[in-house]
Amino acid sequence: MDIKSFVQNFAEQFDDIDTSGFTPETQFKENEEWSSMTALSVIAMVDQNYSVQLTGNDIRGSSTILDIFNIVSEKVKQ
Amino acid sequence: MIFPVKQFGLIFRLVEEKDAAFILSLRTDPKLSRYLNSTADSLKQQQGWIRNYKKREKRGEEYYFLFADEREMPLGVIRLYNILGKTYTGGSWLVSPGADEFAAISSDLFLLIFGFEVLGMEQCLIDTRKSNKKVVRYHRMFSRQTGEDEDNFYFEMDKADYCRKREFLTKIINDK
Repeated sequence: MDIKSFVQNFAEQFDDIDTSGFTPETQFKENEEWSSMTALSVIAMVDQNYSVQLTGNDIRGSSTILDIFNIVSEKVKQ
Repeated sequence: MIFPVKQFGLIFRLVEEKDAAFILSLRTDPKLSRYLNSTADSLKQQQGWIRNYKKREKRGEEYYFLFADEREMPLGVIRLYNILGKTYTGGSWLVSPGADEFAAISSDLFLLIFGFEVLGMEQCLIDTRKSNKKVVRYHRMFSRQTGEDEDNFYFEMDKADYCRKREFLTKIINDK
């Protein structure tokens, strides 16, 4: 699991905005496409690609893609 | 079930004619309406549609829910329809762009519980526009694709799928 592919997978959950500038430090809630549907899509992507279940607290407590990556990385190890 | 119901941090109730303006605002939102069939695009038409729906609701043929936050601010709608034996269709799912991050999950979970447990259904059918990528990804987690045409993917979910989905979603919602 590497951060580059994770950012790419994360960016693919956004269908309307330009995600070419997405980096690990991107604050993913600070754009007009972030919504409950996008949250749902991110949860689905993490489940499908990494076999990890994100929780409500994981999403609520995160602001950057790196925050989510770190949570997923920890859960993958468990 | 007696409405309104408070569940998963939201308030659910059956749609009334007074909700026409809110529903119309969702259905004519440029971003949300991309994935919808053509709609009654005036307030009067929407009110008429709801009046007809209330007749179907009374006959137990269809249930159209509005969900709101705890301050009763409307957040979205979701509908259970096409009841045939123990099968129904879930859809017309619209969530206000400003809603809580988990409003979509909570409302979907509510409709599933209502369909499978309150009404005793055994199968849920779903059709989703191919271009509605977020929702397509979501349904693929728990449902089996049964077909497609130029515009739509078709899915079905049985009781075992429902139980798996309920467990998954409940864990997300309860961990607030």
